[in-house]
Amino acid sequence: MRRLMSLRRSPAGGLSLPGQMLLYCALAAGALVMIMPFVWMASTACKPDVELNKIPVRWLPENPVCLGNLQQLYTTSPHFNRYMLNSALVTAGRTLGQLITCSLAAYGFARFRFPGRDVIFALCLGLLMVPFQAILIPEYMLIRKLGWLNTFRALIIPGTFSAFALFLLRQAFLQIPLEIEEAAIIDGANPLRVLWHITLPLSVPALAAFAVITVQAAWNDFLYPLVVSSTPDTRVVTIGIALLQGERRTPMNLLMMGSFLATLPMLALFVLLQRYFIAGISMGGVKR
Amino acid sequence: MRSALLQWLGPTPLSRRHALWGMALVAPNVLGLMFFFGIPVLMAFSTSFQRWNAITPPEFVGFANFRRLLADPNFHQAFLNTLKLLALVVPGEVVLALLVAVMLNQPLRARNLFRTAYFLPVVTSTVAASVVWTSIFQPRYGSLSNLLAPLGLGEVRWLVDPGLVLIPIAVVAIWQRIGFDMVLFLAGLQAIPAELYEAARIDGAGRWQRFRHVTLPLLSPTTFLVVVLAVINGFQIFDQVYIMTLRTVPGGVGGSATTLTYYLYRRAFTNSEFGYASAVALVLFAAILLVTVFQLRIQRFWVYYEAGET
Amino acid sequence: MKSRSAILTALVILLSMSVLVFSAQAQEGDELVISPQPCAEPGTLTMWVWDENWATIIGNSIELWKTEYCPGAEVELQVQPWGQYWDLLTTNAAGGELPDVFNMSQDRFRFYAENGVLLNLQPYFDEYGVDTTLWGTGLVDPYRWGEAGDLYAAPVNWDTIAIFYNKEMFDAAGLDYPTADWTWDDFAAAARALTDPENDVYGAAVYAEYQAGYPNWIAATGVTPVVDADRTMCTLTEPGSLEALNFLKGLYDEGVMPSVSIMGGTSADDAFNFWASGKVAMITGGSWKLSQAVDEVTFDWDVVQLPKHPETGRSRSIVHAVGYVASARTENPDLAANLILFLASDVGQRFFAEGGNVAPGNPSPELQQLWIDSFGDTGKNIQAFVDATEDSQGVTVFGEIWDAINSEIVVNIFDLDIPVEDAVAQACAVVEEYLVD
Repeated sequence: MRRLMSLRRSPAGGLSLPGQMLLYCALAAGALVMIMPFVWMASTACKPDVELNKIPVRWLPENPVCLGNLQQLYTTSPHFNRYMLNSALVTAGRTLGQLITCSLAAYGFARFRFPGRDVIFALCLGLLMVPFQAILIPEYMLIRKLGWLNTFRALIIPGTFSAFALFLLRQAFLQIPLEIEEAAIIDGANPLRVLWHITLPLSVPALAAFAVITVQAAWNDFLYPLVVSSTPDTRVVTIGIALLQGERRTPMNLLMMGSFLATLPMLALFVLLQRYFIAGISMGGVKR
Repeated sequence: MRSALLQWLGPTPLSRRHALWGMALVAPNVLGLMFFFGIPVLMAFSTSFQRWNAITPPEFVGFANFRRLLADPNFHQAFLNTLKLLALVVPGEVVLALLVAVMLNQPLRARNLFRTAYFLPVVTSTVAASVVWTSIFQPRYGSLSNLLAPLGLGEVRWLVDPGLVLIPIAVVAIWQRIGFDMVLFLAGLQAIPAELYEAARIDGAGRWQRFRHVTLPLLSPTTFLVVVLAVINGFQIFDQVYIMTLRTVPGGVGGSATTLTYYLYRRAFTNSEFGYASAVALVLFAAILLVTVFQLRIQRFWVYYEAGET
Repeated sequence: MKSRSAILTALVILLSMSVLVFSAQAQEGDELVISPQPCAEPGTLTMWVWDENWATIIGNSIELWKTEYCPGAEVELQVQPWGQYWDLLTTNAAGGELPDVFNMSQDRFRFYAENGVLLNLQPYFDEYGVDTTLWGTGLVDPYRWGEAGDLYAAPVNWDTIAIFYNKEMFDAAGLDYPTADWTWDDFAAAARALTDPENDVYGAAVYAEYQAGYPNWIAATGVTPVVDADRTMCTLTEPGSLEALNFLKGLYDEGVMPSVSIMGGTSADDAFNFWASGKVAMITGGSWKLSQAVDEVTFDWDVVQLPKHPETGRSRSIVHAVGYVASARTENPDLAANLILFLASDVGQRFFAEGGNVAPGNPSPELQQLWIDSFGDTGKNIQAFVDATEDSQGVTVFGEIWDAINSEIVVNIFDLDIPVEDAVAQACAVVEEYLVD
């Protein structure tokens, strides 16, 4: 019933049949381009050695050996599960940390006036404008000075601060009508309570976007963990995958198997979180 | 002294309390950012006034690196390439992502599947992207060549022709960013109250008019975010150059695919000219800052905040 | 308590001595090319390698070193990804930290030697009685530095270039298989006969990157390819270089060789994949491709030495040897040198020979045979790669021009159809920026 109503109300629901067909065709054509490399990655993970590196590209393995390649991956890279676990720890730590520091800061920048606010905000944004390749060496030196090389502290703590998440959440908070919070503020409620009870619940879609992007960025981070850790105990999965690429020979099927495994948690997360991108979930309970 | 400080904070006790709250809220993130990233950035910028090969002690050279930049044709070429890519990639990714997000915000069949498909490039391994995209642009056995064959173009050498190579790089850059921007747009679209569409419909607004007069203005804070990030990212295109030219001529024939970030990376880590590379980074930073400040300035003409200008 | 530990120590000493005696006996009768020596004093070392497969092999050798030659020593072996190895080394050097022992390549050596961060190993070679001319000049000359030509590295391995060919295509064309004494003319004739445009099959492709590409042909004319060993001149404009490039360009113009775009790229992988997909009959390939060819190629194939230049009568393979070097800043230089000597010795290199993939740098005939046998009973002419070490050319190009020059020159000539003379002039203009005055 709800589905029917939303169909009727939505613009797509109002499309004529040819219009709908056209929409689906366009979406499907675009989706095909989007997934091609992923499909190749998944299929190559299952190819036996003799089917690798063929021209033109082979989209499906003739004699798939998925399990064999999976076993071979763990023989070649015995610490692979450890790398995945390390990545999960780092990702969880950074995401939770950013959720706290960045939602507080975003709220501060979006709702409060204080001297130097816009300059400070611009300075934070400015940090996004320096390519990481340019600060790789200073970053390594800083972490080394702190004595944090090969520790989870180095992998997690700097990553709990983010100019990107700050910007994203600030924009989301600015989209929320002020009147909703005003009543509570006039009642003298502590800003932390307003943020927690009103602003954050109203920002669920933005928080979902934050989670998808931050988790993905932390999970795929490569250069930074590379320079601050060199022991298996603190290595993350992106480096485990890079280690499969040799100078002279790269076992493409194992490399793709590793990459595929590393992608699965990210896909699962997206599938779980994307249900928060549905209209009405944030504003539903709030009367304007 | 004390009163000057109070005055600086705000004219009234209430506004002062307000200001203190604001500062306290932003402090953890701002201080953390400044310590962990601000310090390395300052260190990198100070390197731009030095000659340094990373091994022997640095030598102060004043503005020599910047004078060299002015006369370096490779740097000029990289700057121009970066601007060309920016012009292709930013409009491309923003328009396509907005289109996809709006379509995928409708109650379609298999909507979740489509959303996941469009998000996939964000998580696909760059090695896979490199293999597949270079093979797509391969002049004889590539899918694109087979697709374009009826047009009689012959074997187009996308990846080695200096006049064409930026196109495949832009395509891959757009491909990789659509999913990212789509996520931001999808989140932004949820913040638009359904009642507004209802009201517009009652007023007799058509689909385009609803998009034009409801969706676009109410989505503008998100659009602003996406555009600013797209510009910052577009200025720093690196991976895609690597992905598309590694197998032919890294950085393109005669530097035709070299972007500023790629150029500074090569200067630093291949040629061990860290001072010069830092000077490139500083110029790149200044260019991005200039464009971003411009965008922040003009946002009041097109970005609409529900909460008003605070 | 005290007496028990004394007994234990005595036992350990006795045991290790008997192991020493035993291992010495095992080698009896054979003249060792390099004999390992016990270390003077154990300590702790860090070591970097860039290949996971090597890490296992080197790890096994180090275990043997620790038990037999240096009890009490500790080695922290770290594998770094190949793609970022040099960036990481630079980053660590900038922080004032380098591993005590690490892998080095010929094209990167000079930068580190010039800046004084490498330990001179020559005094240790002298002390241990190792005559450094036992290694072929192509293997170690790029690792010599200073007035006296001191050797700063011990070779881990070597790899040379030969022609991989598709025997089934030779059979179909009714051609005899090539032999070690074939010439450029024989090569060209075979390539023409093997070309089959109807079926989209090319006769030959020789572009793969620097080491497996056109420089081998230039070397055969007697010219040092691209840049001379002292880095004083760009040699691409020498008559020999022009002759070699024009010879290849002629085959390309005839349609016997594919363009770089058609082949998909300039890397050794692209040429190999093109060949493994049955689109070209002959390619130049490195010995490092042997294991991949054994595993992945589905048609009947073999290898043969590079063809000889008709006038000089030489075929010269570009050879590269990865080296073990030590940091000049190490706290245990004697120990680091002792470990390197062991890893380069007949005992330490045995693991490499048996591990397959790459040939051991130690020239002992027994070790080389072990390496050939490690591929199993393939019936392939793997000896061709060993023979190629005899008249070989070490790497003289360096990081700053490696890909910038080599891939660009290949694309310019064999894809964008720029005349050879213009392409080399353009390349030399870039090389000249880096020459020593």
